[in-house]
Amino acid sequence: MNQKPWVDKYRPKSFEDIKGQGQALQKIKKYLEDFNIGKLTKRKKKAIILHGPPGTGKTTVAEVIAKESDSEIFELNASDFRNKTKLKEILRPAIEQQSLTKKNKLILIDEADGISSIDRGGLSELIRIIQETTYPIVITANDVWNKKLSPLRKKCEIVQLKEIDYNVIKSILFGILRNEGMFIDNKIITKIAIKAKGDIRAAINDLQAISKLDGENLDPETIGFDERNKETDIFSAMKHVFKGKPTDKTRKIFDSVNMPIDKIILWIEENIPAEYSGKALAKAYDRLSKVDVFKGRIYKQQYWRFLVYEYALLSYGISASKEKTKTGFTSYKKPSRILKIWINNRRTAKKKSIAKKYAELVHVGHKRAMREFPIIKNIIKSDEDIQDELQLDEDELAYLEK
Amino acid sequence: MASKIWTERFRPSKFKEVVGQEDIVKRIESLTNSLNIPHLLFAGPAGTGKSTLALIIVKELFGDIWKENYLELNASDERGINIVREKVKNFARTKSLGDVPFKIIFLDEADALTPEAQQALRRTMENYSATCRFILSCNYSSKIIDPIQSRCALFRFKLLEKKDIEKVLNIIASDEDLTITPEAMEALYEGSEGDCRRAINLLQSTASISPSITEDLVSTVISNTKPKDIKVVLDYALSGDFQKSREKLLDVMLKESISGQDVVKAIQKEIWNLPVEPDIKVRLTEKTGEIEFRIIEGSDPFIQLQSLLASFVLAGLGKE
Repeated sequence: MNQKPWVDKYRPKSFEDIKGQGQALQKIKKYLEDFNIGKLTKRKKKAIILHGPPGTGKTTVAEVIAKESDSEIFELNASDFRNKTKLKEILRPAIEQQSLTKKNKLILIDEADGISSIDRGGLSELIRIIQETTYPIVITANDVWNKKLSPLRKKCEIVQLKEIDYNVIKSILFGILRNEGMFIDNKIITKIAIKAKGDIRAAINDLQAISKLDGENLDPETIGFDERNKETDIFSAMKHVFKGKPTDKTRKIFDSVNMPIDKIILWIEENIPAEYSGKALAKAYDRLSKVDVFKGRIYKQQYWRFLVYEYALLSYGISASKEKTKTGFTSYKKPSRILKIWINNRRTAKKKSIAKKYAELVHVGHKRAMREFPIIKNIIKSDEDIQDELQLDEDELAYLEK
Repeated sequence: MASKIWTERFRPSKFKEVVGQEDIVKRIESLTNSLNIPHLLFAGPAGTGKSTLALIIVKELFGDIWKENYLELNASDERGINIVREKVKNFARTKSLGDVPFKIIFLDEADALTPEAQQALRRTMENYSATCRFILSCNYSSKIIDPIQSRCALFRFKLLEKKDIEKVLNIIASDEDLTITPEAMEALYEGSEGDCRRAINLLQSTASISPSITEDLVSTVISNTKPKDIKVVLDYALSGDFQKSREKLLDVMLKESISGQDVVKAIQKEIWNLPVEPDIKVRLTEKTGEIEFRIIEGSDPFIQLQSLLASFVLAGLGKE
């Protein structure tokens, strides 16, 4: 019994147990009422998306819904293969047949942002199922604003689970300690709660980890936790820079982002046009280009103090490029350039090898051959003797035909 | 076994076959006949006969065993100091075959060598000058360090004139049974920009469609080869659609393997055709120059070009 991890042992069993998500719970209850009373007209949404950062209780809420409505759960999560056939195979029978053991059913699609492009036709099949279902469907996702989920968003009630308030986390942790009959210094609990940044699962895991330590090792001043990597950090840092007024906090915002500055530059580069336009856009890119100039100077002169200017221009400089602060939600994109270069290199590998063979035969540099490739390609394509002369292999010949 | 690639098939193999560059040919021919040539530096634009003359020299000097005594390297392919240290030295240190007491290394696009590599090259040229002569080619002699320039006899190649290009193309046309209309000839010359290799490639590319070469055919072939998309990139920026402009830019740079430097050059030329006020053209030119400078200095070309595009967005709004 005690072998269970605390995150499972103390997982809420009823709506009353769920703390810190009051607003979200009300919306969920309303959705369920509507669904069960059969008020559901064609215009009502038949599925609900719970979204929020890790450890805010998305899956737990889904399980509680099932328990409270005495339903059997049909679950598919990221570890399952979720293409069209698979979804049909598992979910179709579920929505069509009556449950044998219980009255109700609940369909849970956990971690929907994990439906990958490999899961061919998965999303569109899911949308079809939503339209036909007579049972509630609960979908969870970290980033509901992900582009690929946009067709799904239109069909669903969207409920946000917020990062859990630090005081709520503290009170949950104290509750667990009481139940375990343990005492841990308030300072340590505070430290855990702050570090969790709204992730209750992380907090409970940290609590359990230190609960095994001897009393003497529990010095609130020195006890350390290894920081979890949270990719959300770059998102909130960008939000701060792009939307907020430049302040002292802005200048230091990227210090707390666990990511090398070169990578942060790529994130900013990708997302400036999502936030700024016109004058602000030009100013922001101008400053970004100067960040890049300082970066070059550091490399060349090995004078690291230039980092100060790099960070200042990248944070405060980009932030101050706009005239007014902004509100509203912006869906930030991951930097795509490196990936595109990589894909392109693979795609042009054949082109390069043909250009190289040609270049050596006609006494020019590879680069010049690449530059003039469109013309050269015509010539090579038109004459099989030339293809022989260059000793092109099958892959290269196939490339010419494309 | 003549090559089917016309730039090779019709490459002159004797001095008297060379079209254009008459003075240079005369001087080099007499040097070659004396069987004692100094290090040579060929400076001039692409497609004006630098590689061709180097090849003629070695063929005249060594006859049938020219391949054993000749090393050709392109510095833009491997621009580091290592090509000097390894390939050049290894070839230079062994004795030549035959009667001529030296071998020849042709280092094409030598201006692409880093200054360090050029310093190393200078030592090699001195140390092995008894067994090895160098022919260096470059587009700009100013990019070759002075000590190397002073060790070489310098020859400046000029762009081929229209009559020269016509002569070359007519030789090929009669051999390959092509007809070229005068307008098509004009178009081929315009498209070649005085680069003979390009003129021949354009002709062969056009001839692969039809043996009757007309102006229309030629311009179709040429329009497929220009990085015309730079105009599209700028048009998007001027109309205020930065996202599209940026995507297109990355697309052009990747798919057509165009370097940041080439993009800047194309943008600089395009500015004069833009529908904006003269004063804005000047400011954009200034900004473009600054960006080109930064790229040359080693900045990230894509970031720099984006900041340039952003100023085009402003220019489009009339706010610059």
